[in-house]
Amino acid sequence: MRAICGWGGFILAVIRSLKPDKLNSAQGAAHAQALLRRIGAALCEPVVRDSIKSEPAMKKILGHAAWALASVGAAFCLATVALTRGEPVNSIWLVLAAAGAYLIGFRFYAKFIAVKAMALNNHRATPAERLRDGRDFEPTNKWILFGHHFAAIAGPGPLVGPTLAAQFGYLPGALWIIIGAVLGGAVQDFVILFCSMRRDGKSLGKMAREEIGKAGGLAALLAVMMIMVILLAVVALVVVNALKNSPWGTFTIAATMPIAVFMGLYLRYLRPGRVLEVSAIGFLLVLLSILGGRYVAQSAAIAPWFTYGPLALALAIIVYGFLASALPVWLLLAPRDYLSTFVKLGVVLMLGVGVVFVRPELQLPPFTRFVDGSGPIFAGKIFPFCFITIACGAISGFHALISSGTTPKLIAREWHVWPIGYGSMLLESFVAIMALIAACALQPGVFFAVNSPAGVVGAAPEAAARTVSSWGFPVTVGQMERLAREVGEQTLFARTGGAPSLALGMAQIFSALGGERILAFWYHFAIMFEALFILTIIDAGTRVGRFMLQDLAGHIYKPLGRVSWMPGVIGASALIVLAWGYFLYQGVRDPLGGINSLWPLFGIANQLLAAIALCVATTILVKMHRAKYMWITCAPLAWLLVVTFAGGWEKIFSPDPRIGFLAQAGQLSAAIAAGRIPAARIAETRTLIFNAQLDAAVCAAFVAMVALIFVDSVRVWIGVLRGTREARVEEAPFVMSQLRVEEI
Amino acid sequence: MAALRRLANFITTLLRELGDEAAYQRRLRRDGRAHSAEEWRRFIDERLKAKYSRAKCC
Repeated sequence: MRAICGWGGFILAVIRSLKPDKLNSAQGAAHAQALLRRIGAALCEPVVRDSIKSEPAMKKILGHAAWALASVGAAFCLATVALTRGEPVNSIWLVLAAAGAYLIGFRFYAKFIAVKAMALNNHRATPAERLRDGRDFEPTNKWILFGHHFAAIAGPGPLVGPTLAAQFGYLPGALWIIIGAVLGGAVQDFVILFCSMRRDGKSLGKMAREEIGKAGGLAALLAVMMIMVILLAVVALVVVNALKNSPWGTFTIAATMPIAVFMGLYLRYLRPGRVLEVSAIGFLLVLLSILGGRYVAQSAAIAPWFTYGPLALALAIIVYGFLASALPVWLLLAPRDYLSTFVKLGVVLMLGVGVVFVRPELQLPPFTRFVDGSGPIFAGKIFPFCFITIACGAISGFHALISSGTTPKLIAREWHVWPIGYGSMLLESFVAIMALIAACALQPGVFFAVNSPAGVVGAAPEAAARTVSSWGFPVTVGQMERLAREVGEQTLFARTGGAPSLALGMAQIFSALGGERILAFWYHFAIMFEALFILTIIDAGTRVGRFMLQDLAGHIYKPLGRVSWMPGVIGASALIVLAWGYFLYQGVRDPLGGINSLWPLFGIANQLLAAIALCVATTILVKMHRAKYMWITCAPLAWLLVVTFAGGWEKIFSPDPRIGFLAQAGQLSAAIAAGRIPAARIAETRTLIFNAQLDAAVCAAFVAMVALIFVDSVRVWIGVLRGTREARVEEAPFVMSQLRVEEI
Repeated sequence: MAALRRLANFITTLLRELGDEAAYQRRLRRDGRAHSAEEWRRFIDERLKAKYSRAKCC
């Protein structure tokens, strides 16, 4: 029956492509669209079934046996990771458990979604084929597009988040990364990519507006803008904490700027079009700057030029962000972005190879004492804070912006969304596992000494070592000094933000492959790698924020909307830089290190964006008459809503001043009222009170926006399911694919 | 050996795609033009304008 329906639909589609005028009336078109949607479901299944039928029986049995074996193997590895107590676990168990879970999720769960919920259909022309213009729309080889998509979604998030969450031990983070990615993050990326592809590459905001309503679209736009401000502040804080009082690191990062400008000029005037060539030259120059950084740090005359405290570095990054967003992109941003993308892919590959070959032991226990919420890196219990801290790597709302950006316009065949949408996220999740391993391979005492802020453990090295040791993670001042000397730093105490400890972990793995004498090189290579693409995010993010702001301001005064009008460019750039710069400044001045308040705020914002994306995805599934499969997106949506609403509630209203913003403001106000704050510090304390109240307001705004979208979505679902609302999807019409295999 | 060659080809193609070189070649082919400094500048200005009007992921 299904086959008959499929072939019937197929014939109808052919007729429609030949005689479109016959279906031009609105009613006729709607009827045809409903029929054509059924074609997708009907057509792809016979294709899959036929391919399976043609397999020899023995091959099929062997295939089932291999998958059964892989499942048992993955379960065994996961059990080893989860149940071992009292001795270090080798990281290879975690690598195998993750790889097994990803393979099974990809082969069975993702394929189930593709066949049942999406009804992917290779006979249906994608926008890349229908709207092919050689520029935005172009059918692209699936593995090339996989690499492209992965490079676009992979940022510092999957590296930093798992490192910070390692304060709970390796197990909570590892389980969340694996389960969150297979059942949540990859599903979100996959479904949004599919939805956008079926809508000619429409953005998430546009889909929210069309499928849910105007309020949803507006909330999505505002959420993106606010998240970007928090994101830019928090990643800038990671760079500041990595470079403070580090002449070597600061010199290396400073050197990337003239190198990028040289690359930009080379590419524009000397050898136009030679991107790979100039990137290779740029990479060599960056390596030289890392090597040269050692001599800068050792020189009594030059080192002070590159030695700055956190406040000076924050101001430098703010000024840099403003200049970079106003400069022509070809001069600084684009060449560095090319370099950063290539370095990123190379380092991810190296880290994977390094972990597999070195197989370090996980020194941190599966659970630490900080599961009770008293953690030094950030305050709060495993639930909900572990799930907020690790966003990218498990589930990240930002990916929905990429999945509804360039990628859907380049997909050659519908089935390619399976590896590209689902598979790329699994790979990012694997990167997060590697980062977790690198952090957990450090000695626990060293890990906590590096990541704990001075406000918690004390500013003096002796006090910090004593406090960390008192938690049951022994560390000595001598041990930390020796390590700092080995990596060419003055100190490694209180280097919060995750980047330095991750760099230490990576350096240990890389140096195990390439000689321990070059530990310092690898440490600074890892810092350069992290800072390089964080600065690219700052440049690009400020520029995008500027465009969004100019777009909005253009409705008030037209010239403000022109991206080439200098007063508008300068004004909008300054406003965006001031917005994220303020949060950065706040983080730098925070006695608890800034990460404690900003990273959870960023995590909540990012997960809430994922909730918006899943609301859109569920609405589309319901409208496609696939309500019986809406649990696929509803399950991660429900989890995210519970986690983020609980996290938001705790961040605003928790009576613990280390967690709750309002409690923190109240405690400081009480201290001023009781006269416990010296007169000289009253103004600064008032600023801290304002900051805590501002953070509470931002958090409340995020939660309110998502609640609005969720309620709006539920209204649409109920209406469609009850039949009181038209289930009108905004899909592009079915057109038969004419694409030849050799074209992709 | 053939597998290694295929892998090297894949890596080069991916890098050329990530570096916008492949898109530039496609553009030249589509418009039937030859490579020149001016052509590259026109292409890259247009491409970067679109590329950096979108947020980069975290």
